Amino acid sequence: MLVARDLVRRYGDLTAVDGVSFHIDPGETFGLLGPNGAGKTTTISMAAGLIPADSGSVTVAGEPMGPGEVHVKRHIGLVPQDLAIYPELTARENLMFFGRLQGLRGQPLSRRIDEVLEIIALTDRAKDPTKEYSGGMKRRLNIAIGLLHEPTLLILDEPTVGVDPQSRNAILESVEALSVGGMAVLYTTHYMEEAERLCDRIAIIDSGRIQAEGTRSELITLTGGVDHIRLAGAGQSAATQAALRALPAVEQVAADGHTLTLTVRDAPTAVAGIVTTATGAGMTLSEVEITRPDLESVFLHLTGKALRD
Amino acid sequence: MRAARAIAAVELRRFLRDRSNIFFVFLFPLLLVLVIGTQFGGGGGNGRVAISGTDSALNNAITASLEDDDVTVTRAGAEAVRQQVARGRTDVGLFISPAAATAYDAGDPVDLEVVPGTQQGTQATLQRVRTAVAGLSVERGQVAALVGAGIGDTQARAALADAAAASTPPELTVVDVDSITQEFAGLGQFDLGAAAELLLFVFLTSLAGATTLIQTRRLGVMSRTLGSPVSTGQALAGHAFGRFTIALFQGAYIMLATAILFRVSWGNIWLSLLVLATFSAVAAGAAMLIGSLLDNDGAASGIGIGLGLVLGALGGCMLPLELFPDTLRTIAHVTPHAWAYDAFAQIQRHDGTLVDILPALGVLVAMAAVLLALGTWSLRRSMSRAL
Ligand SMILES: Nc1ncnc2c1ncn2[C@@H]1O[C@H](COP(=O)(O)OP(=O)(O)O)[C@@H](O)[C@H]1O
Ligand SMILES: [Mg+2]
Repeated sequence: MLVARDLVRRYGDLTAVDGVSFHIDPGETFGLLGPNGAGKTTTISMAAGLIPADSGSVTVAGEPMGPGEVHVKRHIGLVPQDLAIYPELTARENLMFFGRLQGLRGQPLSRRIDEVLEIIALTDRAKDPTKEYSGGMKRRLNIAIGLLHEPTLLILDEPTVGVDPQSRNAILESVEALSVGGMAVLYTTHYMEEAERLCDRIAIIDSGRIQAEGTRSELITLTGGVDHIRLAGAGQSAATQAALRALPAVEQVAADGHTLTLTVRDAPTAVAGIVTTATGAGMTLSEVEITRPDLESVFLHLTGKALRD
Repeated sequence: MRAARAIAAVELRRFLRDRSNIFFVFLFPLLLVLVIGTQFGGGGGNGRVAISGTDSALNNAITASLEDDDVTVTRAGAEAVRQQVARGRTDVGLFISPAAATAYDAGDPVDLEVVPGTQQGTQATLQRVRTAVAGLSVERGQVAALVGAGIGDTQARAALADAAAASTPPELTVVDVDSITQEFAGLGQFDLGAAAELLLFVFLTSLAGATTLIQTRRLGVMSRTLGSPVSTGQALAGHAFGRFTIALFQGAYIMLATAILFRVSWGNIWLSLLVLATFSAVAAGAAMLIGSLLDNDGAASGIGIGLGLVLGALGGCMLPLELFPDTLRTIAHVTPHAWAYDAFAQIQRHDGTLVDILPALGVLVAMAAVLLALGTWSLRRSMSRAL
């Protein structure tokens, strides 16, 4: 659906995007996860043909994409990071305008507007000026505009920034629904939970470079792929530790007073055996906690810094 | 073209949706036309005379004679007439005393009191009053002479009327000594103000509207537009066309409203619209340039309004160009306003034809072309800033 090869974009001395390559298959949801200033917006601006790349190339549906490739842009629904809507116009008027820019008109446009208003649950408020909307409603409208012409690839640039948890959930649900419906999605975010929840594959981007790319579990293996299980309770002894260490899934056991921290492979599967062994070796458990590495720790592992400041 | 039309249409819609526009765009210009018209506009035709005095043969004869001469005559009490003259509501006050009326009836010499006002055109009107009064006394003297020679009064009058009909009397045209007054000849009371306010406000609104271009970029609508299957050229054309449409819309509105409310004569309407259209194109180009050079709303609307007022004043929209010293009047023609003002003057006052206004139109078109080219170039640059 989309192939980006060695994209480079400079602003003066700053190389905002520095050799980014990725591809998105039809129907796939692909995430660009990275902190502010990582180069996400710049990357998708090139992918959507808003700005030219200094070097590298983008193809969409097999056709080369660039600022002058007007007809190729038809494949893409772009939802920019800024709320690109007219505040003094109603939702319907905004949809009407952007629909016309997509070349829609008349009855089909009207019908399609009704449909997307339904999707984003704004039918009731469609005749109010959008300046009276809540942040979440504006975000939803912003997305609806990108959906109007039923693109094969939807590009969403941080669509949940600054919205309340309820609206955020509504937005995530509609993105999931779209992807189930077969639309390819390019989703940028600095929230790792969103990337984990939505994306089939994720590229971690920082300082204009893709640091790693793969499915969630592929990325997590990069950190070494080990989980931790913490056991707290009374009666732990050297014998308990030895018994646990003898289990095949357990790689390491560290004791700290009443607490044992185990380094294990595949904690969810191993936890039952571990609890049985610990109890059998004289420990009375008051707490069991599993911690698994997430994309946050992957990012930390790759860049030596936290995803969010 | 379809995308450009959609952009222009949405800009017009946003303009009409903005409530703060209603007063300044639609009401204020008409208010100013009204104020200027009542303050400075000469009466229709050949001036205004207010007559004080009882109903008498003399009063009726003078009124008839003045009205024949296309002078607007009103009657009022002595005090009211003085007030009218003092306030400039009439050019000349004429006081007919009962003694004068009786003397006229008796065929004796008549003494009339005249109070001239101070505004433009008073001298010409005064001259008309003198002519009318002189005409009456000549006729009166002739009748008296004929009656003295033994001809009956009725016969004498009939003979005089025959004589008047038989000979073509020399046409007495009052030519104003004042060339300025001549330049304003042919203008209705509100005509001058209407043309001036139209130019002032169309340009002002257009420049103030430069902010919408900045908002469009800041809101991200510009990037969204270019993310659609719309070329940069189409987007640019849409915005230029939008500004142009708004300017044309406001100008046409002012023309229509002043024609209906104040009976303003716009002369040949097609020529006037042509002037408006070229002027609107200049205004649109200027708005594009300001809206793309600046990235700050506040600064743009400040500069836009300031520039609009200064250019308007220099271009004859506040004080008529005819009253400018010669050098300043030449300098004034750096503004599109002055050229459009001249063109409107040709059309409204002198029944100007397309040929008469062609030079002004040419200058306006050239100005529009330069500004639109610069504006487009600079907007293209500003678009990449917006992405
Ligand atoms: N138009 C621009 N001019 C100059 N620098 C820019 C411009 N756009 C982005 N940058 C810089 O490029 C880097 C990447 O920005 P961006 O792609 O917006 O990051 P993200 O979307 O991941 O937050 C940042 O350092 C940003 O300041
Ligand atoms: Mg961004």
